Amino acid sequence: MAYSELIKSFERIRSYMREFYVYGFKSREEYDAKSVRSYDNERRRIESWLGGYMSFHQNASGKRVFLSVDSRRTPHNPLYKAFKAKSFTDKDITLHFYILDLLAEGGALTSKEIVDRIYDEYLSHFSGTFSFDESTVRKKLKEYEALGLLRSEKRGREVFYQRTDDMSMNLDSWCDALAFFSEENPLGVIGSFLLDKLEAPSDAFRFKHHYILHALDSDVLSELLQAINEKRAVTLAMRNLRSGYEYQRTVCPLKIYISTQTGRQYLLGYHYRGRHMAFYRLDTIKKVTIGNTEKQYDKYMVFQEKFDQHLWGVSAGPDHNLDHIVMTIRVGPGEDFIRQRLEREKRHGTVEFLDAHTCKFSADVYDASEMLPWLRTFIGRIVNLECSSKYVVETFNEDLQQMSALYGGDGDVV
Amino acid sequence: MLFSEIYGSYFRVVAAVLAEAAEGGLTDRRLTALVQEKAFAESALAIPASLKSGGWPLLDEKLHSVLHHKPTMPLTALQKRWLKALLSDPRIALFQPDTTGLEDVEPLYAQNTFVLFDQYADGDPYEDPNYAACFRLILNAIRDKRMLRLQFRGHTGSRHSFVCIPYQLEYSAKDDKFRLLATGKQRLYTVNLARIQSCELLGTYDPKAVTYPQRQLNELVLLLHDERNALERVLLHFSHLEKETLKLDNKLYQIKLRYDKDDETELLIRVLSFGPVLEVKAPDAFRKQLRDCIQAQIRSTLISTGI
Repeated sequence: MAYSELIKSFERIRSYMREFYVYGFKSREEYDAKSVRSYDNERRRIESWLGGYMSFHQNASGKRVFLSVDSRRTPHNPLYKAFKAKSFTDKDITLHFYILDLLAEGGALTSKEIVDRIYDEYLSHFSGTFSFDESTVRKKLKEYEALGLLRSEKRGREVFYQRTDDMSMNLDSWCDALAFFSEENPLGVIGSFLLDKLEAPSDAFRFKHHYILHALDSDVLSELLQAINEKRAVTLAMRNLRSGYEYQRTVCPLKIYISTQTGRQYLLGYHYRGRHMAFYRLDTIKKVTIGNTEKQYDKYMVFQEKFDQHLWGVSAGPDHNLDHIVMTIRVGPGEDFIRQRLEREKRHGTVEFLDAHTCKFSADVYDASEMLPWLRTFIGRIVNLECSSKYVVETFNEDLQQMSALYGGDGDVV
Repeated sequence: MLFSEIYGSYFRVVAAVLAEAAEGGLTDRRLTALVQEKAFAESALAIPASLKSGGWPLLDEKLHSVLHHKPTMPLTALQKRWLKALLSDPRIALFQPDTTGLEDVEPLYAQNTFVLFDQYADGDPYEDPNYAACFRLILNAIRDKRMLRLQFRGHTGSRHSFVCIPYQLEYSAKDDKFRLLATGKQRLYTVNLARIQSCELLGTYDPKAVTYPQRQLNELVLLLHDERNALERVLLHFSHLEKETLKLDNKLYQIKLRYDKDDETELLIRVLSFGPVLEVKAPDAFRKQLRDCIQAQIRSTLISTGI
């Protein structure tokens, strides 16, 4: 089949874009593609869509391709372009413009009338062999009805189709909101589709700490939101990103947890077989199959609310038991920002002043080891660290010794 | 269905071509230019050929549109449902869009479906009328190229007033805060919107006469020891910065990050959070700051354990 910059399925390109964007150190031979030709085609497509963000690194062991984006300087997420590259047939695009044109004045037509008028009013301009049968047109009309572009009305034995334009809607009044939410909303790609309809999009916003990779999981997220909205169970086809191991999980989907500090997105659901709450990273979900309505949905939602009260991140630890942690830190004169940091960054627990220069943070969480990265951000000020999980304190101290060795040892400490 | 050709670049470009053809005067050259401007890099190989060969019978041989109208497309149900869902986001109050037409639309999701579990707790007061009024005034000033007089509290509580040219609003999801980026007297100013007490629209300025100061970028060179899944954690965490990664051996990687000089303290804290899997190689001053923190902690640990 001849190469095209458009794609039929999103899954393969999703994996390549992720590799180029997150890692970017692999050579052509290191990708576990079915063939080097497959790699070449995917790389060429991504280059066609995102040429300005592609970079190359050449050394003795080969050429490495990577995507490098400073998202603070980019008003629009470039990865959305992948969602604008769906392939189609000649008939798809031609019918799209013919049907919407025939119905543009608000009239209603049957599929037969549409076919007749296509031949009389459009194809009569051409001497070619382009042709449509009524079933193709009818299929397209039903597809567009499902998308919400058309509505149908049965009159007697005939079905009439009409466009769904709403002249009262003023999309221009959404101009700034679209510029903002197309980047900030988890399904911002839909905002990007809407921005494409505007004559003069707003350029007023930029975004700091802006993670854009989630865009590639938009289709999965969209399916999950539908299931959550309809309170239905889902079967997830999953793939471990490191090992490539593929497996399935059937869960009741409840919430989407998003990290603003890594961009990772997780589904929190009730895992039927394991009979517990579990998190699933969206970038490991290949496919979502929506199942039956869950009669006990509200009960699981109550579990979620209780569960959330002691989650630091997205781990319930090995046994769903709580760890008690206490960190005491020193606050120097004029360092009120440390108290402010504790107040705004703590997700659970309490902060209390022991004296003018000492602050104590304490909390009960499912998995205190998840807190280690945050605890380390106070390195240099921690007076005391205690935790019911010995692993946490031991890891903290061992890491500190290793860091000391990395940065010049402790020769001048005492 | 999110992944559909109706949202695609090709459909959009062909609509633009047909709109221009409907006005008459579409030329080969203009056709190619439109495709190059609005589609992907290689689209110019496919779209003009399909339109001119009759593969997509939409233009006649004189490049006139065979359609009766300029192409338009209604909003899809997905688009309307997404817009309706935005109405439950507290930040929508800042924009006040016209919601007519969405009355009977089901939102795509409930706002509380999403849990931003590590977002800081002192986000901006979106429901404060004064905050929202300042936000909208600043947005107007940016759009209409007008100067502003701002009165705001500094981080120490002191009051400031100055005239500036506002040019962007920067949002951070982690902080849940907007900052105004403005220029004046050849300097770049960053002001937290929540600190602004009042603002006043002044006269217009000539955007061509303004030079926007650039942020100073520095390069951080890190060595990453791939233990405890550190490679993926680190690369995702810093993925919003321009970066380049090299594999040095099986478990060792070099990462170069380009960061704003003004954010150095924040970056230092973020590097610290990864512990010993991440080692700063350059710049030296950054490395020294880390060493000072670590040594202070070692001293503190020795004292608290009575060693």
